[in-house]
Amino acid sequence: MKIIEFISEFQDFCFLSARGLLGVTKKPFYFKDMIEQMDYVGAGSLFIVLLVSLFIGMALSLQLAAELSALGLKMYIGKIVGVAVIREIGPVLTALVFAGRVGSGMASELGSMILGHQIDTIRVFGVDPMKKLVTPRIVSSIIMLPLLTIIGDLIAIFGGFYVAVFVSRQSGTFYWSSIREALYFENVLSGIIKPFVFGYLIACIGCYTGLSTRGGATGLRRATTKAVVASIIAVIICDFILTRILLYVFGFSL
Amino acid sequence: MIQFDKVSFSYGTRQVLQEVSFSASFDERIAILGGSGEGKTTILKLMLGLLRPESGRVLIEGEDIAGRTEDDLRAIRMKFSIVFQEGALFDSLNVKENVAFCLREYTKMSEEEIEGKVKELLGIVGLEHDQDLMPEELSGGMHRRVAIARSLASFEPKMFLYDEPTAGLDPVNAEIICQLILDLCEAGRGFIIVTHKVFDALKVAERVLFLRGGRVIFDGGGKELLRSSIPEIQAFLGELRFDGKGAGIME
Repeated sequence: MKIIEFISEFQDFCFLSARGLLGVTKKPFYFKDMIEQMDYVGAGSLFIVLLVSLFIGMALSLQLAAELSALGLKMYIGKIVGVAVIREIGPVLTALVFAGRVGSGMASELGSMILGHQIDTIRVFGVDPMKKLVTPRIVSSIIMLPLLTIIGDLIAIFGGFYVAVFVSRQSGTFYWSSIREALYFENVLSGIIKPFVFGYLIACIGCYTGLSTRGGATGLRRATTKAVVASIIAVIICDFILTRILLYVFGFSL
Repeated sequence: MIQFDKVSFSYGTRQVLQEVSFSASFDERIAILGGSGEGKTTILKLMLGLLRPESGRVLIEGEDIAGRTEDDLRAIRMKFSIVFQEGALFDSLNVKENVAFCLREYTKMSEEEIEGKVKELLGIVGLEHDQDLMPEELSGGMHRRVAIARSLASFEPKMFLYDEPTAGLDPVNAEIICQLILDLCEAGRGFIIVTHKVFDALKVAERVLFLRGGRVIFDGGGKELLRSSIPEIQAFLGELRFDGKGAGIME
C-alpha cells in the first residue's frame, strides 16, 4: 500500500512540476504575482545568503590554510577556494539556505491557503491555482536562485580572500590571480547550471507539499517539515547526478 | 436544478455521506442542518465540483459534473457564488483588493471603474469605509461581510452558497449576516446555507435538510422540523426550547 501511495504521490508531483512550468506558455500571465514572488524569494533571501556564504568562504580558507601550510602549498588556497566555491559549495549551500527559507515558506503559505479554503475560493472563481500560485513561484525561483548563487559565490570568495590575506598572510594579488585561473568557462557554467535545476526542484517540492496539506495545524507542520527535508535530499542527490553529468560533458578526467 | 442522486463520499476510511439524494431549484432558500462532521460543507463542495463523489451523481441543470475537467467546471461554478466558513479572504490582499479580485481577473474595467464598483459592493455590506484594512484587522463578522461583497463581484450567480456564515459570531453580527443573506436573494436568486445554528437556519430558510450519520433524515419546512418527532432532531432543537426561541419562530 505504501509503495502504491508513494508512486501515486510521485506521479502527482511530476504532474504539478510539469504543469507549473508549462504555465508560462499560456495566458493569463501573472506578472505582478511573479514580481512579488521574486522579491520574496530573491531580495528576501539575500541577507542570509550573504551571511552564510561569507562565513563558509572564511572557514574554507582557514581549513585549507591549516592543511596546506604544513605541505608548503599555501599559494593554492585561492585556486582551491575558487574551484570549490564556484563548482560545488556555492550552488549547494545557496540551494540549502533557499530550501530552508523559501521551500518552507511556500509550503506553509499554500498549506494555510488550503486549510483556510482560499484555494477552493480561487477555483470557484474560475482561476487556475496552478497558474496563479504555482507558476509564479517556480519561475521566480528559477530566476532568483542562480542570481543568489552568483552573489553568494562572490561573497564566499571574498571571505576566503580576507582569511588568506589577513590571517594566513598570503599575497592578495596572488589570491585573486588564482581565482581568475579558476574562472574558466566550464567551471563557471557548471556552477551556473545547477542553481536553475535546484530552484525548480525546491519550488516544485514546496508548492506540492503545500497544496497537499491535510489535517489542520499538525498537517501544516508536517507539510512544512516535509518540504524542507525533501528539498534538501533532492538538492543533494541532484547535485551528485549533475556533477557526474557535467564532469563527463566538459571532459574532466576522473 | 441541482440534483444529488445517491451520492456517497468519504474522507479516507471515514464515510461522510451515504447515498444522499435530494433536488433543489436555484430560487429556493434552503438550510442544511446537522452536527459537526456530518458532511454539510462536503455537500457544497460536491455541488461545485471541488470534490468528486465516490458513487452516485451530482447533476447541475441535468449535467453530471463528475469527471469533468477544471475548465468545464468553470462554467458550472459561475452559476454559484460561495462564501466559505470564516470568509476565506486572501491574507495578502486588503479588503478592496479582495473584493476586486474577480473584477481584475475577468473584466477589462479601468482602475476608477473597479474602485467605484468595489465601493458600491462594500456599501451593500456596510463596509465602504474599511477598504484599506487587511484581513487580520477585521472582526469575524466583517470577514463574512467582505466575503459576501467579494462573492457579489464575481459573476451574476443564480444561487448563493453559504458555509456556516454565522458560526462564531455574536447575535448582533449574526443578525446582520442573516439580513444580508435575505436581502441578496430578493432578485429571485436562492441560497443554500449550511449551518449548525437552528435559529439562524429557521430564520432565513423555507426548506430544511437535516443530515445525520451521512444521510438526509429530514427534508421539509421549518415548522415541520420543529414538530418532528425524530429523536436526533429533537436533541438538536433542545437549544431552541431552552431559550424559548422556538416559540417565536413558530409564530
